[in-house]
Amino acid sequence: MSGEARSVTSEAGHNDDLVQRIGQLTRMLRESMRELGLDKEVEKAAEAIPDARARLNYVASMTEQAAERALNAVDRAQPLQDEMERGAQALDEKWQTWFQQPLEMDDARELVTETRHYLGSVPAMARNTSKELLEIMMAQDFQDLTGQVIKKMMEVIQEVERQLLQVLLESVPEGDEREAMRERMNNRTAEDARRREQAGLMNGPQIKPDGEDIVSSQDQVDDLLDELGF
Amino acid sequence: MDKGMSILVVDDFPTMRRIVRSLLKELGFTNVEEAEDGQEALTKLKGGGFDFVVSDWNMPNLDGLEMLKQIRADESMKSMPVLMVTAEAKKDNIVAAAQAGANGYIVKPFTAVTLEEKLNKIFEKLGK
Repeated sequence: MSGEARSVTSEAGHNDDLVQRIGQLTRMLRESMRELGLDKEVEKAAEAIPDARARLNYVASMTEQAAERALNAVDRAQPLQDEMERGAQALDEKWQTWFQQPLEMDDARELVTETRHYLGSVPAMARNTSKELLEIMMAQDFQDLTGQVIKKMMEVIQEVERQLLQVLLESVPEGDEREAMRERMNNRTAEDARRREQAGLMNGPQIKPDGEDIVSSQDQVDDLLDELGF
Repeated sequence: MDKGMSILVVDDFPTMRRIVRSLLKELGFTNVEEAEDGQEALTKLKGGGFDFVVSDWNMPNLDGLEMLKQIRADESMKSMPVLMVTAEAKKDNIVAAAQAGANGYIVKPFTAVTLEEKLNKIFEKLGK
């Protein structure tokens, strides 16, 4: 390999020749692609990339938000749990001491008041913990939303593959290989067509909420339904 | 509103079915069944015994809109209340769902408060 490289660099004339030949080949390829209409196919494949990037961005930000939402809820719930545990433990110890040596009635009265106070505070803390658990559960809705976007991404990737196959197909000489490739592409095309037919009203989550004809909040949905008289 | 009513939750994502089921439980509805697409839902609905449907839109086999149309076209269940809960957020979607006879439309992601509001509104309208 390095020997080859040396022999190429050692001959400047040969090098120029090579560059020129690559240039000619590139021009030939581009011209024949244009003649066959393949440049449009490649263009379409290239256009799918920014869309795929936007979708991946959506997935990244949704998963990040979900993780943060769940972690924040845990951060809020843990102190409540700690407080309940500490309160119960402290009271339990005090009662144990009193039972071992039941002396003053005043002490017992104070302990009863303290215990009642604690019991009174538990339901509110438990309710708040439950609220945080619900929040953690709701944060999992990202799985559905990103799942739908990822499914769309796979369709985009298949479409790109189909278009690139088309380009390849035209540049492969006639023969078994070309037949096999053609068959594979036909399968893809049929699948894509079926999916496109179904699409229409099934676009999944909107990755750009400020797009045209898109509602970005539940309020907008409600307003639209009101407008329509539903 | 009868909290003992039988509710069918239709969604192809198990996570979302669990979330909706838990939210309904939180709101006091414990009689909840699940279906993973419109086709399975229709089969269950035809079996009878359901009072309410909460459905996704984009599902394999039979999507939510098509399922809604078939419910409305079926004499035995045409008055079944159906609440759409979906990520589809185009104006065309909302119009199509309303025209097909959806009783409510919630866009994902949604909150527990939104679900409660819409349920109340639907039953208020139905006079239950």
